[in-house]
Amino acid sequence: MSSKGKSGKTGLIFFPAFDWAISPTHPEREERLLYTRDQIFEEGLMDLPQIAEYKPRLAEKKDVARAHFCVPDVESQVTKAHLIAAGSTLTLADALEKGEIRNGFALVRPPGHHSMRVVHGNRGFCNINNMAILVEYLRTNYGHKRIAVIDTDVHHGDGTQDIFWHDPDVLCLSFHQDGHTLYPGSGFVNEMGGPQALARTLNIPLPPGTTDEGIHYVLDNLILPILDEFKPDLILNSAGQDNHYTDPLANMRFSANGYARLSEKLAPDLCVLEGGYAVETALPYVNTGIIQAMAGLDYSHVKEPDYVPGRFVQTGGMVREIEHTVAQVQKIWEQRDELVKDALEGLGDFYRRKRRIFYDTDMINENQEEVVRLCPDCAGYMTISTSAERGYGILNSAFCVSIPRSACSSCRDDAKEEYEEHVDDKRIGYVLMQDKDKDRFKFYDNS
Amino acid sequence: MLIGIDVGGTTTDAVVVDGNMVVKTAYVPTDHDNLLKCLLLALDELVQDIDTGKIERVVLSTTLITNMIAEGKTDPVALVLIPGPGTNPRDYTLGESIILDGAIDFRGKEIDRLKESQIKEAAFKIKAQGLSRVAVVGKFCQRNHSHELKVAEILAFALPGVKIEMGHKVSGQLNFPRRAATTMLTAATKDRYEQFALDMAAALRERKISAPVYILKADGGTLPLDKSVQMPVETIFSGPAASIMGVLALTEPGQSCVVVDIGGTTTDLALILSGKPLLSAKGARVGSLLTHVRAFAVKSVAIGGDSTVAVSGGCLSVGPKRNGPPLCMGGTLPTPTDALRVLGLTKIGDAAKAEKAMQIVAEGLGCTAKEAAQKVVDAVVDKIVFEVNEMFREWEQEPAYRIWEIMKRELLSARSVVGVGGGAPPLVPLVAGRLGIAAIVPEYASVANAIGAAVARPTLTLNLHIDTEKGEFSVAEEGLTGRVSDQKMTPEDAERLARRLLAERAVRLGISEYAGEAEVTYSEVFNMIRGWSTVGRLLDVRMEILAGLLPSWGRC
Repeated sequence: MSSKGKSGKTGLIFFPAFDWAISPTHPEREERLLYTRDQIFEEGLMDLPQIAEYKPRLAEKKDVARAHFCVPDVESQVTKAHLIAAGSTLTLADALEKGEIRNGFALVRPPGHHSMRVVHGNRGFCNINNMAILVEYLRTNYGHKRIAVIDTDVHHGDGTQDIFWHDPDVLCLSFHQDGHTLYPGSGFVNEMGGPQALARTLNIPLPPGTTDEGIHYVLDNLILPILDEFKPDLILNSAGQDNHYTDPLANMRFSANGYARLSEKLAPDLCVLEGGYAVETALPYVNTGIIQAMAGLDYSHVKEPDYVPGRFVQTGGMVREIEHTVAQVQKIWEQRDELVKDALEGLGDFYRRKRRIFYDTDMINENQEEVVRLCPDCAGYMTISTSAERGYGILNSAFCVSIPRSACSSCRDDAKEEYEEHVDDKRIGYVLMQDKDKDRFKFYDNS
Repeated sequence: MLIGIDVGGTTTDAVVVDGNMVVKTAYVPTDHDNLLKCLLLALDELVQDIDTGKIERVVLSTTLITNMIAEGKTDPVALVLIPGPGTNPRDYTLGESIILDGAIDFRGKEIDRLKESQIKEAAFKIKAQGLSRVAVVGKFCQRNHSHELKVAEILAFALPGVKIEMGHKVSGQLNFPRRAATTMLTAATKDRYEQFALDMAAALRERKISAPVYILKADGGTLPLDKSVQMPVETIFSGPAASIMGVLALTEPGQSCVVVDIGGTTTDLALILSGKPLLSAKGARVGSLLTHVRAFAVKSVAIGGDSTVAVSGGCLSVGPKRNGPPLCMGGTLPTPTDALRVLGLTKIGDAAKAEKAMQIVAEGLGCTAKEAAQKVVDAVVDKIVFEVNEMFREWEQEPAYRIWEIMKRELLSARSVVGVGGGAPPLVPLVAGRLGIAAIVPEYASVANAIGAAVARPTLTLNLHIDTEKGEFSVAEEGLTGRVSDQKMTPEDAERLARRLLAERAVRLGISEYAGEAEVTYSEVFNMIRGWSTVGRLLDVRMEILAGLLPSWGRC
């Protein structure tokens, strides 16, 4: 269900972390939401009867462990700022579930959508994935089954994709600037999810220079129809703001009005801020527009000082490229059940993938082998062997075991056995266990 | 000797304080139609046998502005807005307004020009409506006054004799609709307030009282009467502020307590945390308008000694209405005061009539009169306790924007409940008992408000904003701007500048002797990075003389 048609207030948490930065001159620094603060406070948005402001809380260790394997443990990977940003989304989730609000926006930093299931450090300005933590919290505490995550940041939401890769009940849909031209260099149409969840991960790479027109074409012709068919319990939005035409780190041509209209049409239940680094020229206007659209207020007066409608026009080539991509993804979505059936027929009891993951912020290289049991009775347990290198030395290594919700007894027993087998194995630094079914988490230090 | 007079809803209370002694008290009934008259009545009664030459200071707390607004007796004002991009101004509840083109952004940069022809049209419209007061308010005009100044200049030329108030002179805090409301209220109340101030000054001259006269503000601070005419709205809600300052004066310094002021119709709740009265996070609500007026966080609950007690379908309810005096004091309907009388918790009123009142309640509830009385008192205590807990919860839930603010706000709890007002003595011990903390009903609790007014010191706030890239500073409170040359200004430099500017402002407001008491209550610095290098700094400092007591009041 989307928030469309619901009544009540829009919940807002504004947590600019004015005392946290990656480094003094980094784009993810104290100043990032300063002008946004000035704008939304000067607008008096928090005083309007349509809006309720909430105070953030700290996420618990358990909330993080439900979505991530932090190596060696949660404390080593997060600061207070991360826990507050993640906790903000949980406060809004509670308010939504209690019926206090119709929808909510966590206007928080630091962001999270590049953080993957295993965390050795900071990737793409992110340590932990606020959105994934929110999804897991909603499912564990409120029993939601089907959730749609729509990632509207200019960068591919590769962390969120990784965490829900094998999960057929979480639709991860991301549109972004083509990975050939932008960090993290992924998010192509052929990245569609694990064998049991094919086409529940959907990627829409867009050419640099895509305008309001292009993005709304994708929304109207692809995203909204897919949501109608997927029928999620909740629609969540990873609301990055770096598709804006002034963003210094990307090359798109989206406007504040385009963002506001997107929020209105998508009507997400909860929105979480991701990136967006045009701190003066975009963020104050885009955030004002999104808040207004979510609260059902008139956003037509929001306009960047230098914006005139029709300022950006897509070339014929770009229009055809976007139409072609949309048609491709539509086809993948339509064939989703066959894709899963065919993939599973060709595989045995286990699915394996080996990967190398680069952490750009912390200069870490990670090698991973992921194994999922293709179980006919449950989602199947998963193991991950991971080792991270920095420079010429091993930073950390770990063996991780994950038991899914509603695990069958055979998967549960096998997963436990895998865990026990690796405990005290001196070749591996740490052994981690994530039991989503019983909501229990273990960290074992082999040294 | 210090004089404090508080014009309350039903009575006007007055005291003479000498050092730390209350020398004399006086009460007269409040005459809402002539506040000046009842102020002078109370004053005359007070100074009958006192040498007026020994009076060092007179402080008044009045309901003048509150009444004017509540009774709709304010002057009509034309509101001219320069909203720029953002919210549709129709989404604000500011009433009718004239909207002009032009815009300033958060850095104080002009992003859209004014249109002169549009301003002239506005003047024509104001003239046609026959309005003689105008409020001109622009979004972010506190960061750049040029648009407000230009509009005011053109309007003044086109509309001779019209009085114009500008937003940046009234408040420099972020929040455009609140600034618009506060500016509008200033324009709407200024003339009448000024008349009151002049009449008051004349009346004091007649009485040969030459001591300086101050007015109490909503933040518990005093301001010379003649200076207060620039900011009449600040004097709203001075009644609750007087009571809270009274509690501060009558209890141990530095403590954390809940202030419970129980009157006939309402009970006002407030918090004092570590000796500092809690200010509301945003400005006060005045009628239907949200303003920038700094005020103590006061929660008014519609329950008091005269509240209506009713039974319907076996269910007991107390308040929110008031139906005349209690039955035991000549009224016609049962009230909590009757219940207190039956339980022997108060000696006021007639015992037999109180019994009769509770008999009426008992019939509906099917119990004895005494049991009914207990239920009524329990209901009142329940309500007050609930609201006290709510008040703490709301305070804990106030938004925070920095890590340290979130980590720091541990559960601060009150150690006592301090009761003032007529209804306090019997009820406050019960409320405190339920909260599990001590009850304090100080001596002079009934004139705590007047004592608070008598011994309150001035307050003053100064918000300084510095943009080193532009080489500018601006002071929010009075539209003062200036240049700064140091690109690498530190927070300490900014605080020094703020202290100097505050001292100058204190001189202009006639309270220079308190400038040394000012403290930094907020300070932030942001490096502005463009590309990968620092191009300047944004610094904000708030310096305040907070609510406090005169040093001569060395009571505790």
